[in-house]
Amino acid sequence: MTPPSSLMTPSSSVTDPIRIDDLTLAYGAHRVLDRLSLAVPAGSITALLGGNGAGKSTTLSALLGFTRAQSGMVAVCGIDPAANPDEARRRIAYLPENVALYEHLSAVENVDYLLALSGQGAGQQPAGRSGHHRNRTAITDALAAAGLQDRAWDQRLGGFSKGMRQKVAIAVALLRQVPVLLLDEPTSGLDPRATADFNALLVAVRARGTAVLMVTHDLLSAADVADRIAFLEAGRVAHEVTASGPERFDVRALHARFQAVGAQMSDGQVSDAQENSGQVAA
Amino acid sequence: MNLWMQEWRLFSRQRLAMMALALLALLTSAALAAGIVEVSRQRAAIAAIPAAQAEDIAAVAAYVDRTKDAGSAAYYSFHPTWDAPAPLAFAALGMRDVAPYILRVRALGLEAQIYDGDIFNPELALPGRFDFAFVLVFLAPLFVIALFYDLVSGEREAGRLRTLDALPNGGRALWRRRSALRLALLWAALGIPFGIAALIEGVAGSTIAIVLALIPAYLLFWVALAVFVGRLRWNSVTNAATLAATWLVLVLIAPTLANVAINTAIPVDQGAEIALAQREAVNRAWDIPREDTMRRFYAGHPEWADSAPLGPDFHYKWYFAFHQNGDDSVHDRVRAYRSGLEARDAAGRALGWVLPSVGVQALLTRLAETDLTAQLGYQDRIRDFHRRLRAFYYGYLFQARPFERGDFGRLPRYQQYSFSDVRI
Amino acid sequence: MSVGDRTVRLIARDELRMMARNRVAVIAFAMLVLLTLVAVASSWAHRNGVAALRDRHAHVAERAFDAQPDRHPHRMVHYGTFIFRPPGPLAAFDPGVDAYTGNSMFLEGHRQNTANFGDVRQSSLLVRFGQLTPAFVLQVVAPLLLIFLGYGGLARETERGTLRLLMLQGASRRQVVRGKLLALGTVALIAGAPAMIGLLLIAGQPGALAQYMLAPMSLIALGYAIYLAAWAVLILLVSALVRRSRDALLALVAVWAVTLVLVPRVAPDLASAAVPLANRLQTDVAIARDLRTMGDSHDPDDPHFAAFQQSVLARYGVDRVEDLPVNYKGVVAMEGERMTASLFDRYATDSFAAQARQNGIVAAIGVLSPAIALRSLSMAAAGTDVAGHRRFLEQAEAYRYALVQRLNRMQAEGVRYADDTARDAGADRRKRVSGDHWRAMPDFRFVPPDGRTLATAALPGLVIVVGWLALALTLLALATRRLGARS
Repeated sequence: MTPPSSLMTPSSSVTDPIRIDDLTLAYGAHRVLDRLSLAVPAGSITALLGGNGAGKSTTLSALLGFTRAQSGMVAVCGIDPAANPDEARRRIAYLPENVALYEHLSAVENVDYLLALSGQGAGQQPAGRSGHHRNRTAITDALAAAGLQDRAWDQRLGGFSKGMRQKVAIAVALLRQVPVLLLDEPTSGLDPRATADFNALLVAVRARGTAVLMVTHDLLSAADVADRIAFLEAGRVAHEVTASGPERFDVRALHARFQAVGAQMSDGQVSDAQENSGQVAA
Repeated sequence: MNLWMQEWRLFSRQRLAMMALALLALLTSAALAAGIVEVSRQRAAIAAIPAAQAEDIAAVAAYVDRTKDAGSAAYYSFHPTWDAPAPLAFAALGMRDVAPYILRVRALGLEAQIYDGDIFNPELALPGRFDFAFVLVFLAPLFVIALFYDLVSGEREAGRLRTLDALPNGGRALWRRRSALRLALLWAALGIPFGIAALIEGVAGSTIAIVLALIPAYLLFWVALAVFVGRLRWNSVTNAATLAATWLVLVLIAPTLANVAINTAIPVDQGAEIALAQREAVNRAWDIPREDTMRRFYAGHPEWADSAPLGPDFHYKWYFAFHQNGDDSVHDRVRAYRSGLEARDAAGRALGWVLPSVGVQALLTRLAETDLTAQLGYQDRIRDFHRRLRAFYYGYLFQARPFERGDFGRLPRYQQYSFSDVRI
Repeated sequence: MSVGDRTVRLIARDELRMMARNRVAVIAFAMLVLLTLVAVASSWAHRNGVAALRDRHAHVAERAFDAQPDRHPHRMVHYGTFIFRPPGPLAAFDPGVDAYTGNSMFLEGHRQNTANFGDVRQSSLLVRFGQLTPAFVLQVVAPLLLIFLGYGGLARETERGTLRLLMLQGASRRQVVRGKLLALGTVALIAGAPAMIGLLLIAGQPGALAQYMLAPMSLIALGYAIYLAAWAVLILLVSALVRRSRDALLALVAVWAVTLVLVPRVAPDLASAAVPLANRLQTDVAIARDLRTMGDSHDPDDPHFAAFQQSVLARYGVDRVEDLPVNYKGVVAMEGERMTASLFDRYATDSFAAQARQNGIVAAIGVLSPAIALRSLSMAAAGTDVAGHRRFLEQAEAYRYALVQRLNRMQAEGVRYADDTARDAGADRRKRVSGDHWRAMPDFRFVPPDGRTLATAALPGLVIVVGWLALALTLLALATRRLGARS
């Protein structure tokens, strides 16, 4: 039941910030990605849904240049991440499922540090706690834009909730002005209110022209913000729904589809091992 | 540069890590201070020699003046030799706490004098000195372990590893930067106090440079070890335990095992045998014809052979001749003993190529001239001085010249050796 | 600790099983046992080798002394004799300062020579890294192994929340801590066992296990047992106090490094800075100075010897030394030896007093480091501490003095004054006494200290080690009450 490839990438274009074509990636005999094709245009949000082991995290790893595929093509703004990881990563902001930052630094300091590691802060004054550097204004603006309340800016991250930490990470992404944002289970563990906040933030990010790819279990959230939802099954896109399509707001139908996909999910433990070995390749 | 500043800022906010660095700097400074105190104590002891010696020799001179007998002068006079600490000695005291650095000798048989020790408290010497070499060789690796054991695993356990890896300046470049920063800070904690102390003590610039290069080289070994263990992707606790165990083996256990092996493989029993044999050779002279003794002495030292024959009375030239004969008779044993010591030392230093802890200790004590080579060098200088001492007295004894009070002022003086050219 | 408690035993068994499943721990434990065996074997072989060598040298020296021909007694005073210090039987367990003190000594008239040819000056630089002995393994290596095995004992349970699980099942905090302590104590016991078996083997060698060695040996066994027990308690204390097992490990390794590596090195430096020791040159010059003020036998006008001569003449009721029934030269030699020996004793006593003060400072610092206290206990009980070396030096000096005075008396009573001062051709023959006399001289025999003396010397160290255990137990009891309160 292989869907026609034209249906998978209806608006595929060479200029899409995220492009994956015919990607096959295997650990030994186990194919994690099987001729996967996917494209995320600028200024759009794609949600990648799938059960454990469907290949969601591996897709992110491939985009980040952590894993190298056997065949097929991956491009981030036209750059092959496996061949040129630093160039690709310069264009990507990535939020793991649990955004863990330096707990003994404040929100501002964390942003400042991560910006430096992104190659953005170079040549600028570090934003000290004293806060009179010109860089600080930019950082606090970004934190405000990410929805972090101003009293939290100079607080140590130790007591931050997941939502607050995500806002700090999004602030980094905003400052970096990257064309690509990758999200791994961004709404897991968030309460409905925080989820709504986060989704609103994503919409704002999209408005800046960023291509957003989020891997998630959260169908509701995906239905809420995504322009397109791709169901991943055994390493390939089994079904795809676009915002303009008939199923866009039919959550019940989406749910049925999701369950059908989830029923075929493979062993979750294999998936963990693959993720770990993916890091070795980094 | 900003990246480095950022790393420094991140590091400097870690209270425990900063405390560890401060502690290392403090221990280094304390060890340097302890070394300087010890070395200046030794210098003071050496500086106190002339006064004590003047008093002692004046009493001998007053006594000898009655007879003007060169033999009495030679028999009763003790002559000081000393081994002033090299400029770097404060950093690695080596054997200077157990081997004498002041030794008085008479013109009598040297082999009965040269192995004498000075007074020291063996219980204090047993654990070893608290000097810079100790801090570098023993303690610094523990600080490396403390700063490196969770370099990557700590980020993994905190859940930041993927975030960091996904950043363009993250990944390996980040670990290299963090490692280099920590290494540089450790280097500074050890090197800056050392450099200051070395400048105060007047150590040659090239020697300071060697030590300053040696510090990061040794630290780098431990860093490499920590990075290697880190790459095994164990958790932080396992890393720490593994590294601490490795430290125990490399710094404490392996050297002690090697010591047992070396001392078994290269037996050195000759020390006491030299003393026994020399005494027999010396005392036998009382039981053999005196002419035999003189013949043997003149054969070895023909420059005195034209001296007048012995009369029936006791004459000191016979006495000194058999002491000289005694020394000459054990010459081969002395050489064997010395080469045994050198072989042991060489084996120990050779181990330094495998065990960095031993290698650094060997190199530091060599630079500081506090190792066995330096000890043997001191013994050579004593032998040389003793040779001149004998020749001086023999000039009076064998040419029957009276020994005047003023002749005490013409005694050969022990030459302090200059530390200008140290060979490694 | 009430071993009878079933819950405690269960917890202990669980903990031991946990350790047994830790591959690294099992390897480390095996290495410790192996290291102990190597240490026992090599230390024993070394001690026996040294004992045989010194015995051989001593016999050579004694035979040479006995074989001397007819001589003037004063010649024998200068011929002197070599003595060798036999290592005690327990030196194989803890050689203490043996390598740092000379073990052979030349004894002669008028001079006090140093003990020479110690191992430390005859070995490669490796000797300063420490010596592989059973004592070293137990003092230094065993605590680190216990740390590796025990750091997580309580920290792990609080960190993972399993402590609550245990308590939900009815175990009290005290029972949990006791169970962990029982497990770690068992490991400590097993870790120490090979060295203790080695100690028994060492003591079991022919002639060594005299009844009197029982007390010091028991003290050694007791001391090390308490020491390792104190470490076990300390490890659990830290494990109970910190929040994460990783912090527990780091803190314990730091404590280990400070108490076993750092403090033992810093303490001697402080002690030698606080109490200076006169060096040999200054001592010799001072002795010579004192001797000149007391009396100079070479000076015919010396008031002391003039008075001495008068008293000797008066004692025998004669006017001239030539008329004395004894050889005045021998009498003067005895007086001279008496004077120098009294000075030697005085300065040696001063030096030993200073060294004892230095060791006292180190012992005081030992309150901060149980390792220092244990080391002094161990060396004292084995008879290999400075006091042991001093025993040798004092016996050597007593023997030297007796030997020289016997020879001087022989000169006074066996050589006629007229012959002693004669210078004719046959005088040398007449001055000599029969070589049989040398064979009649007693040989030097080092009298080892009895077990009571050794045990008494070891007691202060034991008190400190016991104090450490008591303190650690008290703190652990306090920490137990608060265990898991923050998690």
